[in-house]
Amino acid sequence: MSDTAVIHEHGHVPQPVQHGKPGGILRHTSIVTGLVSGVVLAVIAYLVGGMLMPQGTLDADGIQVGINAQIAATYIAWVVGFMAGIGAFAGPIRWAMGHDLTHDDAEYMAGKGQGKWRYWKYTTDHKVVGFQYLVISMVLLGLGGFLAMLVRTELGATWTEVFDPNFYNSIIGTHGIVMIIAMIIVVTGPLGNFVVPIMIGARDMAFPRLNALSFWLLFAAVPPLVTNLMLGGMRDGWTVYQPLGAQAPVGMIGYQITIITFAFSTGIASVNLITTIVTMRARGMTWNRVPIFVIGIIASSIMGLVWFPMFQYSQVFALSDRVIATSFYIPQMGGSVWLYENLFWLLGHPEVYVIVVPGTAALMELMVVFLRKPLFSYKVAVAGFAGIVGISSVVWVHHMYMTGWAPAAGYPFMLSTELISIPFGFLVMVMLGTIWRGKVWTRLPMMAVFAVLWNKVIGGITGVYLSDVPVDQYMHGSMFVVAHFHFMLMGAGLFAAMGAISYWFPKMTGRMLDERIGSIGFWTAFAGFQLTFGSMFVAGLQGMPRRVLQFDDAFNVSNWLSTIGAYTIGIGMLVFLYAIVTSWRSSVLAAANPWGAKTLEWQTETPVPLENFPVLPVVTSDPYGYGVPDPYDEIEEQLTDEDATVGAR
Amino acid sequence: MSTTRATPSTSVPRSPTTGEPVTTTARRNRLGVWLLIVSDVTGTLALLVAYSYLWSLNVNSAWAPPGNAWATLWPFWALVAGLVVATLLMWWGLAGLTAGNRGRLVAAAGLSSLIVLVTWIGQIVQLSTFPFGPSDGAYASATYWLALVNAGHLFTIMFLVVAILNRTRMGRIAPDNPHHARLVAMWMTWICVAAFLGALFATTMTVSPNTNSPSFGTFSE
Amino acid sequence: MSTVDDRPVAEADEPEEPTNRPEASYRLREWLSRPYVRHILIIAAVITLLVVPAAWLVIFFMNMTGAPASSIMSEIEKTMFVFTIVSAPLMAITLAILAYSLLGWGRVSGDEPPMQESPAIRSNPIAITLWIGTTSVLAAFLVVWGVTELATITAYSYGSTPANQQPNATKRIDINVTGQQWLWTFAYPDQNDITAPVLVVPIDTPLYFNVTSLDVVHNFWVVELGIKIDANPGAITNTGVTPNKLGTFNIRCAELCGLHHAYMQTQINVVTQEEFDSWVREMGGSKTV
Repeated sequence: MSDTAVIHEHGHVPQPVQHGKPGGILRHTSIVTGLVSGVVLAVIAYLVGGMLMPQGTLDADGIQVGINAQIAATYIAWVVGFMAGIGAFAGPIRWAMGHDLTHDDAEYMAGKGQGKWRYWKYTTDHKVVGFQYLVISMVLLGLGGFLAMLVRTELGATWTEVFDPNFYNSIIGTHGIVMIIAMIIVVTGPLGNFVVPIMIGARDMAFPRLNALSFWLLFAAVPPLVTNLMLGGMRDGWTVYQPLGAQAPVGMIGYQITIITFAFSTGIASVNLITTIVTMRARGMTWNRVPIFVIGIIASSIMGLVWFPMFQYSQVFALSDRVIATSFYIPQMGGSVWLYENLFWLLGHPEVYVIVVPGTAALMELMVVFLRKPLFSYKVAVAGFAGIVGISSVVWVHHMYMTGWAPAAGYPFMLSTELISIPFGFLVMVMLGTIWRGKVWTRLPMMAVFAVLWNKVIGGITGVYLSDVPVDQYMHGSMFVVAHFHFMLMGAGLFAAMGAISYWFPKMTGRMLDERIGSIGFWTAFAGFQLTFGSMFVAGLQGMPRRVLQFDDAFNVSNWLSTIGAYTIGIGMLVFLYAIVTSWRSSVLAAANPWGAKTLEWQTETPVPLENFPVLPVVTSDPYGYGVPDPYDEIEEQLTDEDATVGAR
Repeated sequence: MSTTRATPSTSVPRSPTTGEPVTTTARRNRLGVWLLIVSDVTGTLALLVAYSYLWSLNVNSAWAPPGNAWATLWPFWALVAGLVVATLLMWWGLAGLTAGNRGRLVAAAGLSSLIVLVTWIGQIVQLSTFPFGPSDGAYASATYWLALVNAGHLFTIMFLVVAILNRTRMGRIAPDNPHHARLVAMWMTWICVAAFLGALFATTMTVSPNTNSPSFGTFSE
Repeated sequence: MSTVDDRPVAEADEPEEPTNRPEASYRLREWLSRPYVRHILIIAAVITLLVVPAAWLVIFFMNMTGAPASSIMSEIEKTMFVFTIVSAPLMAITLAILAYSLLGWGRVSGDEPPMQESPAIRSNPIAITLWIGTTSVLAAFLVVWGVTELATITAYSYGSTPANQQPNATKRIDINVTGQQWLWTFAYPDQNDITAPVLVVPIDTPLYFNVTSLDVVHNFWVVELGIKIDANPGAITNTGVTPNKLGTFNIRCAELCGLHHAYMQTQINVVTQEEFDSWVREMGGSKTV
């Protein structure tokens, strides 16, 4: 037997005692038991909280004493109840009791023999989790997009107030945080989970149960976020600066619970992805043979893992200020607004790269396939990601230039912010170098590369303005900032995600994404995007502050254009969604490797079997062995042979 | 990972779920625990930053609790001492286990879980006997959360140590498969550091160095 | 940046250099004579020429609601102008490569992977060095420019001359700015503590603002004067400016501060010294110092 075959020898491994049927209690749990248990526990918490509350006692602000604690308890009970109901605690309890999983248990939990129902259970198979993430990120994007349409409706109707200020401010905040969450997961969730383990030649993630845990925590985090709109809303923008957030109605608690839960979800997912990539690569996949997408995912995971707890604790303190009347952010009682801003932005900025890096890496991965060329300078790409991971942790104060916190900090943080453009430039160079002299196969995933590079150029240059303290003195808090970060997060993030999803669509679903309809949707959205945020730059230059619902007539024209553009994006996205849904339901099956790609996930069959590979692969080179020798080099050699100094050609 | 089809050797036990040698899964788990520790370090750092930053600012001269009723310091150190003893016991038991003496880890984990339980109760007692309420200014807020986070940490440890006791007793943790016990001991060591830092901050940062902070809503200091 | 600088980029995966390569100047000339290189350079030049006018366009938009009324705002506009010009070539070369790859190097469509492979260029030490060198120089320029400008506007904020940091006027007016939901109050401590909801200031006199808030975070933004600072509850922040143009300009709140954030705006009237003195008397304050 050669050393290429790594076979799982389950039959020979002594198994622990099988308690009951494989799967144990998880045979009986699913999203249904989760929802029931979550709702029941939430209702109990709400009722008990109501009974404990001193009814009719109002505090200084005229708010019922104890209502914050009641609502917080309700939300926490929902999250805990849901997780318990779906079976998330079964694993730790079994472990503590010493009832270890048998191989049959593990296979049941990975969804063996459960058909479509496995998508609704606490399923550990990374491919199932990938699908679950794909669907939830599309749902969140749809919700965030719908709220964006409402925002643009208000701003386009310059002659009237469409919504009352409370609702308007709540939809800006909810749009912001829904989109941030959706963008954090949209590549790393579906593709990081589905594709990465196959790409590195593993059978599953390192911690399959944590994988299910991270998804269902995310799922549990969504209802508190959505229901905030019914409890008075989180009307303070996605940043929820304190102490403004302390004034908001109890809907704010929904936001805080969501962030705290989502931070656990992201942390767990990051631990899982990093461990998988570090320890479970196929034989022969040395670090210089790892596909660049995997490098991007690990870079993004490191930033999320290290910095998310800062955001989490910022919200823990805010919730504590509300519920047990501590004063972390209440200045009268010794709290500081700058504490909140620092904790918030310590994650807040790395999070931008958490969003942009995986999409960029995915485009690098797919462009080589459509250009039939090796990736240009793999090492510079890796250095670019490493540089971004390093520098991103020391740039957060550029969000705080105008807060008055340590004005002298403007100098070092302007330096670090402008330095990060260098590793970011590496990534652009790698993409341009790969495009250089390549014959383009003009399929949708490849065209996304062009769209994203265009957006990155615009977003990058406008970012350079904003990194500069004097310019920020004019731009901070204006529509210019809004347009800039949409160019980065949506222009470079979402459009990259659309390209990446259409690239891996045939592997995930077994069907090709409809090229024609998908392209129509993509380019409609792209055109609308340019109009929306191009004219928003103008509004910002003219001096329009962000997060306002009424403004000077001087800004009317650019806002009308933005609104027209936004509706165009909406139409484009609906068309793209239509392409996804119809292609998914189509009966025409895709080949296992329709793009002719060389990475491992395309070498296994479609649909991918339960443990991904019948025999684990062994890697002997990097996956970029495309291309023919450079014809110019041959000409040069001939010339050299004759007489190099002649010079005429 | 195995590279041959041969029957697994008896020297290294294998994970029943994946068929890999437990040393392979142990390596993976160790990295996972390290990463969780990194994440918890950041969280703890957020708390310590909040504590020391509010201490240094003394916004509205409202850092100090009413009547300068600072928390008594020795309970912080007593809790750290309890944690350290429990952790050392686990390492001691683990050393015994790897030397082939499973009984020693059973004894150590049993004793350790008792100490952790006592420490946890001590933490609850400390929380409920602070001479101030959570709403008594920034010092009170930050100190409550030092204690709350420590209580949470202790709670995770209590679960883990009891589980290790149980698993060792059942033979799931054995001289040739000691890995879970080591992971738990690693986690406990980090919690000792976290508790130590909390106690250090609580001890060294009481009276704020900033005596001329502006009073709220005015331009006078 | 050590991750990058420590790494000799020339060590990328590439075949060993042939020993009989022609000399560098010849290779450069040969490279420049390639049609696609020439085309890209031409396209890039054209795009640069198209983009450079954007620098004026940016200034035009910024001035649409009012031209700069202080040296600070003039410096900000100068920075915007210079940054736009500096970015133009980099933007142009990127877009030129993108455009040429669609038009010049050919493209294929269809459902099957193309049979024809492209040149296997894995690395090019010269190109990499050039790119990293150029972007580093640009970043260095931005940093140097930014630091200098920041020092300059800081000096202007405190009413001094950037060159020698000496106060350029003997008198200065202190103004206490208080933000609250959703209005601004301006107090003049040296003018018998008169307060007003609209800022009235004399031209060419350094103004020094102490800013705080009574409730949540606001942001004191004097648009045409180019100053902006948060009004934080529980802290006092400072900024300053010397208006150099008569007229009425906008003050807006630039930090979301609750329901009526959009309406939290007022005006600053820059008037002559005589008008200011009479306004102060009218408001019941003493004559200016």
